[in-house]
Amino acid sequence: MRFFIRDNAAAASAHVADYIADRINHFGPTPAHPFVLGLPTGSTPLGVYKNLVEKYKAGEVSFENVVTFNMDEYIGIPRDHPESYHSFMWKHFFSHVNIHPSNVNILNGNAPNLEAECVEYEAKIQAAGGIDLFLAGMGEDGHIAFNEPGSSLASRTRVKTLAYGTILANSRFFGDDLDKVPKMALTVGVQTVLEAREVVVIALGARKALALQRCVEQGVNHMWTLSALHLHPHSMIVCDEDATLELQVKTVKYFKDIEQVARAQGFEQILPSKVRTGPATVPTTITLLRRTTPNPEQQSLPRAKSPLQNPVMRAGIKA
Amino acid sequence: MPSVVRSASPRQNGITKLTNCRLVRGDALVWEDVWISSATGKIIRSQSAFYDELIMPDEVINLGGRIVSPGFIECQLNGAYGFNFSTATADTAQYGKQLRELNKKLAQTGVTSYIPTVTSQTSDLYKKVLPYLGPSGSSRARHDGAESLGAHVEGPFLNPTKNGVHNTSVLRVASSISDLEEMYGAANITPPESQASQDGTSSSPSRLTGITNDIPIKMITAAPELGAMTALIPALAARGIIVSIGHSEATYEEASAAVAAGATMITHLFNAMRPLHHRNPGIFGVLGVADSQGQQDSPTQVSQRPYFGLIADGIHLHPATVKIAWHAHPAGLVLVTDAMHMVGLPDGRYPWTNGEGEHFIVKKGSVLELEGTGTIAGRYVQCLVTFSIKITPGSFVLASLALKASYPSSHPPG
Repeated sequence: MRFFIRDNAAAASAHVADYIADRINHFGPTPAHPFVLGLPTGSTPLGVYKNLVEKYKAGEVSFENVVTFNMDEYIGIPRDHPESYHSFMWKHFFSHVNIHPSNVNILNGNAPNLEAECVEYEAKIQAAGGIDLFLAGMGEDGHIAFNEPGSSLASRTRVKTLAYGTILANSRFFGDDLDKVPKMALTVGVQTVLEAREVVVIALGARKALALQRCVEQGVNHMWTLSALHLHPHSMIVCDEDATLELQVKTVKYFKDIEQVARAQGFEQILPSKVRTGPATVPTTITLLRRTTPNPEQQSLPRAKSPLQNPVMRAGIKA
Repeated sequence: MPSVVRSASPRQNGITKLTNCRLVRGDALVWEDVWISSATGKIIRSQSAFYDELIMPDEVINLGGRIVSPGFIECQLNGAYGFNFSTATADTAQYGKQLRELNKKLAQTGVTSYIPTVTSQTSDLYKKVLPYLGPSGSSRARHDGAESLGAHVEGPFLNPTKNGVHNTSVLRVASSISDLEEMYGAANITPPESQASQDGTSSSPSRLTGITNDIPIKMITAAPELGAMTALIPALAARGIIVSIGHSEATYEEASAAVAAGATMITHLFNAMRPLHHRNPGIFGVLGVADSQGQQDSPTQVSQRPYFGLIADGIHLHPATVKIAWHAHPAGLVLVTDAMHMVGLPDGRYPWTNGEGEHFIVKKGSVLELEGTGTIAGRYVQCLVTFSIKITPGSFVLASLALKASYPSSHPPG
């Protein structure tokens, strides 16, 4: 896990936005080979979106060949309700950049068959070639997407009941009226996030400190679902100083040190080139592999797997 | 200059996006984009268009922080681009042609609707020009430009002591509706069916709903203290005509009686009327009636406070005066220009008549003066919004039912 600590929320947001823009540009997306981006909602990523919009307007990044998948959406509020995640994404991101609407995917919380909607969503992600980079926030209880404490770490896109704490936290967006806060949501699963080729998490503020400590310093724990990131080969957390309040000094120093050392050595903590350019442009060796190997699972590192094919998940299912 | 960027979308859907602009929302200016369909001419819900129709704008226009506002409604405009509504031409067809040209040009200043104002004139002139100045109707074709909402006759039933630049010799006193019909021409003020039935006191709420009649006159400025004018107000209101108090010596009591009778507007408040006196606040005093009275009693018993036009150009009124009026009745404030036909013309000396001989009005910068008198006759429109926004940002402008004719882009409000 790569872990970057920035002085404040603005610097952390800028770091993440720069990183995403850099990833997209290095990827060199085309209509046939788009960059697939997973996106969160909530107050934490607002700064990231703001920076991305500014970078787009400055001509530093284009979303023309970017496909997006959003993490979650409420059930039972109209799509254009001001607090819906459709509205959030429109207001803070999509309306300001050149992303094409047919490249935008958000779960439909008003689908007649919610279960079918979830299955279809997973299929859409597969059809798009999997997610290249999943950006995520983190709840105060360590949740990722709406995978509340206790969620299966092998979970996939599904209907989820929200935890009381999340409903309480969300009530500020619904006139502090608990009755108006949606109690259910559609969300991608922990496993859906883990199947992305890269996961980038942003955590800001002292309120996230405890959850960050659990997820960074402690092991994989289903009560802090973001901790499942330890199972991912290419995950990255970016936080501000406030969010480190519960971490050991040793932990903070370690991550700050290795970032400095790596930079001094001219070796940024970057991804393997295969992950950076996506599967379609990986050079001829892979093409040869495809010809000779009947099992596509072997061709590259973090291809999406079903839970049954994942050893860790299989262990979990047995238990 | 706004830059135009073509979007990458190959499909042509006629959607234009205005971006980097501010919109009026409640009492605030918010940064928000606007999507407009050129097919329907309407603002569309961008979020629905994006998610449902999967469309992106054909064209993006960067407004560089400018304000996007609904079209201005000018309630007091005497003419523009050298065309004076109160000057009849020998060939009446020429009058209609000039009017249509004015409509097109006026739209470019941001005025989409206006109330052409005819000053105090002789009966002959009213009868000639009023048929041209009635409501433009429902067609609203884009290429026609601004639309008339109906004529405003500012006179001649005005008080000679508050004449402003109006010619006192044409001022009259009315004692009955037939005096008005005689002055303006019956067809210009009385709908045909009412002429037949002599029903001048119908109580139908036609002012708000029944614009079924097509009489040209939609607004009359009159001095209620003269003749039987106050008694005539209900009959005029029943015709769908807005009665506005102006060019008047009315006391507080007389003005209140006019409002109770159905007057709903004050013409350029403070100008051409008695100044506020603490023992008798005069016309301005009717704005002092507390709102709570209207809520406690039934609406029929207590008449609403009238709207009031203000020439907030920094010349006609002191900024503090504007603020006092605004605070007295924020929802009633209507910014007007009272602009004359020299609007849009270069500085110079222009002939002008108030029906009595030849006069000249000197336009210097934004100020218009009646030559040799020092009397302010009007003001060039464009500076007004800047001024208004500067003195009270935000809500002052937003609450105005009619904003100024043009938003000066070179002076974005702080």
